[in-house]
Amino acid sequence: MIQNLPWLFLLLPLAVAAIDWLFFKKCACCAAALSILSALGTFGLCIAYLTGLCTGTPDVYTWMPIATEGMPSLSLGLLMDPLAMRMMLVVTGIGLLVHIFSLGYMKGDTSNHSRYFAGLSIFMFSMTMIVLADNLAMTFIGWEMVGFSSYLLIGHWFNKESAADAAKKAFITNRVGDFGFLIGILLTMGVFGTLSFSEMGTGTEAIPTAVLTATVLCLFCGAIGKSAQFPLHVWLPDAMEGPTPVSALIHAATMVAAGVYMMVRLQVSMGEGAFTETACLVIAGVGAITAVLAALMAVQQDDIKRVLAYSTLSQLGYMIMAVGLLAGEAAMFHLYTHAWFKALLFLGAGAIIVRCHHEQDIWKMGGLGNRMPITTVCFLMGTFALIAIPGFSGFFSKELILDAALEKCPFFFWVGAGVAALTTFYMARLCIITFCGSARAHGAEHAKDGGFTMSMPLLLLAVMAVISGFGFVADYLVPFEGFHAHGFELGLPFYVSMGALVVGLLLAFVIYGCGKRSKDPLSGNFISKSLRERLYIDKFYDKGIIGILQECGARTIEFADSAIIRGLFAQGAAWFTGKIGMLLSWIQGGSLRAYSLIIGIGVIFVIFLLAYTFPSL
Amino acid sequence: MTPLAHYLILSGILFSIGLAGVLIRKNIIVVFMCLEMMLSAANISLVAFSRAQGTEGVPVYDAQVLALFVVAIAAAEVAIGLALIVAMFRARKSVESTAITSLKD
Amino acid sequence: MLIWLILVPVIAAALIGLAKAPARLTALASATFTLIMGLWAVISTTLNPDCAECACWSTFAGHDLQFTLALPLSRIMLLLSVIVTFAAILGLKAPDKAAERSWSVSALLLSTGAIGAFLSDNIISFYAFHELALIPTFVMIGYYGRGDRRTIAWTATVYLGLASMVLLAGLLLLCSQMGVWSFSAIKVAVAAGTLPTGCLTAGLLLVGFGTLVSLFPFHSWAAPAYASAPTPIAMLHAGVLKKFGLYGLFTLAWAFGPACESFFGCWNNLLLVLLLGNVLWVGYVTVAQTRLDDMLGNSSVMHMGYIFLAFAAYVALGGNNELAFKGAAVLMLAHGLTIALLFLLTGQIEKQTRTLEMDSMGGLAQKLPGLGFIFGLAGLASIGLPLLANFAGEFTVFVSCFQGWTFGEPQFESGMLNTISGWFGGLGPVQLALIFALWGLVISAIYMLRAFRRIFEGPVGLASERATALSCTDKLSAAFLAFFIVLFGIFPFIVL
Repeated sequence: MIQNLPWLFLLLPLAVAAIDWLFFKKCACCAAALSILSALGTFGLCIAYLTGLCTGTPDVYTWMPIATEGMPSLSLGLLMDPLAMRMMLVVTGIGLLVHIFSLGYMKGDTSNHSRYFAGLSIFMFSMTMIVLADNLAMTFIGWEMVGFSSYLLIGHWFNKESAADAAKKAFITNRVGDFGFLIGILLTMGVFGTLSFSEMGTGTEAIPTAVLTATVLCLFCGAIGKSAQFPLHVWLPDAMEGPTPVSALIHAATMVAAGVYMMVRLQVSMGEGAFTETACLVIAGVGAITAVLAALMAVQQDDIKRVLAYSTLSQLGYMIMAVGLLAGEAAMFHLYTHAWFKALLFLGAGAIIVRCHHEQDIWKMGGLGNRMPITTVCFLMGTFALIAIPGFSGFFSKELILDAALEKCPFFFWVGAGVAALTTFYMARLCIITFCGSARAHGAEHAKDGGFTMSMPLLLLAVMAVISGFGFVADYLVPFEGFHAHGFELGLPFYVSMGALVVGLLLAFVIYGCGKRSKDPLSGNFISKSLRERLYIDKFYDKGIIGILQECGARTIEFADSAIIRGLFAQGAAWFTGKIGMLLSWIQGGSLRAYSLIIGIGVIFVIFLLAYTFPSL
Repeated sequence: MTPLAHYLILSGILFSIGLAGVLIRKNIIVVFMCLEMMLSAANISLVAFSRAQGTEGVPVYDAQVLALFVVAIAAAEVAIGLALIVAMFRARKSVESTAITSLKD
Repeated sequence: MLIWLILVPVIAAALIGLAKAPARLTALASATFTLIMGLWAVISTTLNPDCAECACWSTFAGHDLQFTLALPLSRIMLLLSVIVTFAAILGLKAPDKAAERSWSVSALLLSTGAIGAFLSDNIISFYAFHELALIPTFVMIGYYGRGDRRTIAWTATVYLGLASMVLLAGLLLLCSQMGVWSFSAIKVAVAAGTLPTGCLTAGLLLVGFGTLVSLFPFHSWAAPAYASAPTPIAMLHAGVLKKFGLYGLFTLAWAFGPACESFFGCWNNLLLVLLLGNVLWVGYVTVAQTRLDDMLGNSSVMHMGYIFLAFAAYVALGGNNELAFKGAAVLMLAHGLTIALLFLLTGQIEKQTRTLEMDSMGGLAQKLPGLGFIFGLAGLASIGLPLLANFAGEFTVFVSCFQGWTFGEPQFESGMLNTISGWFGGLGPVQLALIFALWGLVISAIYMLRAFRRIFEGPVGLASERATALSCTDKLSAAFLAFFIVLFGIFPFIVL
């Protein structure tokens, strides 16, 4: 019995979500309290398992008893290895803080509390499903469910057209990725004969390279969708329509990192041999393209959340690039530090937005540094970690990725360095405009720090953002088996990243000064415009693929269906039959005499037949 | 004894007259009477066969029973047929067969 | 005992129709009876699968009209029938008293026909019960349908009548070949060495059954008929009766055992192409719809493709693919429940907003959050969200298509298919069709979420302004179906 305790990781949030939704519609506080308790419970459970207080392997639950030759039953089992459990710590830890922060953030919207918290709980459930899954089928279940909870939470304010559209876009874009992912899962089953992570690694040598490449790349499609990699990155910036705590939890720290987690999980269980050269090149390439494009787009965004969203995209690109360079430990390390500091940045942004009366445009803020000191300090901690100032967590993880890149393929190293410079630049721009100078709009004039429920999570996250890169924390908590953090190492990567840092900061200060400007000096030209328009990729999808290919295609097919299949074939056949009927109807002229004549002739004919053709009768 | 052929010729003539009447006449009552005539023709040949097939002066009664059966059915048919004709006359004010072609359309 | 499942609704229908018994009450009593009885029958036979008496739960009048739950799909289809019948009759909302009478009678007769067909062992009674169920469908569409009801009713009549004729020819050919007239006897005969033969017979069966299940390109009747039919009829026909064709195909294939490969095999590649027509072609037709009822009608046609895929996978391995069979069973059950719920909700939406044009609605979830929740659940279930019933079936079907496959050389003569097959390590026709069919998951997400977005989200539209509250029976019948969708989604094994 006691060994089945880990099932609580799944059951607790699921039950809470159901209870919140069905019974606590009218009681906002109860719903919130229950969800927070469940997050606290799973966090506690996670700590208990990490510290070894609880141990044991939970039973496997047979979900579809379909065991046949060559195919085990589809089962739900929990894989509690260090990779999973430490990832659980990130998920439940940040989840708990976001739950608490939400109390303050959603204060003005209590009527929908039960829906919101039920959504958060169902997200915790589905994310746990992905992390603890012991086979790919279960991962896929979690994969779809996080997509659903993300749909639910992005569309929390579904009366707003933009929020409803963004939710739909996120779900459908993810489905496109899942299309490939599902093919990958089925191929894995066909090729390896199992879906279970623990049995996958055997017999890789016997499989042709082309098959392995196809399998891994199909599985990677799932990561492209979920981790918002180019060319399916378009949903993530739009997902910022959701409440900010949701963005922090789902669209920065955990769900979008699930793609990275899944790829690392596959690398560990299939063995690095399964990741063929072509597959690695494609994966790293996609990561690098995403990192560069997203960083460029971030440079000219005015919405505080969108800057952070593009920064998330770009950092995810980093991680995927590390996966492609077969540096799983670097990817997971960066995932882990990024989760803390990006959640911190988003929650900080959330605190600012709520205090500026839901204003998200950075050009309408300004001078917040004096009025919101706690938030500012925390936000700056997160920024320092993101731009990799030595001593902050992001520095260590980024360094590890750059090391790996330099070792495996220097091209990606230089790409990474360029992205680092861009990152520094846009984050410095964001901080200067938001916190320095004076308020540019009425909302920002009277902003002040949030209450306890908002400041406490920020402070805790800020602590993590600073210390989580150091060996004494990272060695225990980084979600990778046998990980050891490096200290400072002087070398080419260090110098290059310092150079990138300095260049980025200098440029930002030169261009934006001390935040006195009220307008972006870089704006107005073609490059700025196209960066703001997200390099026209969204427009191309909207107008080109959805507008022309899909809509016109669907209409054409619909027309063909009704014109050719229904019109020509079905109604044509009916028309033809009718015509034949008309032709034959002259026989039935209504004249009794004609009828009797025909009957007479018929009788004579029959007699003739009987008498002469079958004389034997 | 009259030979069988004479009966059959009579029967054939009656049948042909009846058939011609059915095919040619428009008036349904006449058509109806012609039908009856054809039945009578059949009856005549039945009875004739009954005699001719008989042995030692005993006719084959099957044929005579059949003839009686035909008469009985014909009577019933006449009753229904005339009733239909009367009903038709009420509805259409006519007993011409050309007047009842509305099913054609 | 099983005979009462058929007699009671008929008696109830006669009481309502001839003796002017109170329509709603009588129908509801009968539906409750069949629900309890059906659940009991299903549960008791599932618990004792080996007990011979239970398997053949009851017989009636000797050999020729025998009702049984021993056929592999009977139980699951009986379960589906009684659940949907109960929900349809509970949620039945007729425009006036006279209509209520005829709606109840038709719903009862329809469900009787379906239950009778699913319980029949004898092939002729199996066929005849289905014909019985078709009659109320035509009458109800013709009298109470939406839109151009006469044309639609006639189209459906002609299509289904022709299909039934073709099917009858196929069944008669088959039975006279085999010399036996029931499913179980065919199974015995095949085991004894009498194998079914003839591409023509198989083709007749596929076209006949296929048209009844709206297999592409014989699908033109389905979407307009469902869109037009009154709510309970649409629920029962799309949810329950339509599964008749697939039920027949699968039960025959089961009876043939390994011989099904040689029998149906000559049409298998064509079937793969046609089912892709269902999934992709009709899928895009669905995307282009602007009315909710049209969209749901087409989506129901589209999802049939996946069950045909399971059939193709089952046949391709000569019946040695239990996964495909089970997946199809779960998917049929799930699809029946989901589409019935969606049609039920469509009726409620129309009653609230007095329109089904999606663009004139909007923001309905704000006015009626409960309706939005259940519709969202049903919609997401139909596009295969995990933990809801359809996913269990779909995923099993997908997995089953890869049964018995190992990587190797490309399996086609040449051409583009060969190239694609080669990329993935030599996929066979079934696997290749599956990969194309998977795109249907994206298509269905597009149309379902778009419909939800237009109807329920965004600012409150003109038509949505009219919405008032839902009645208690509305909520109950919807919740009843939703409960089973969730139940079978989380615990799919209880029906296997």
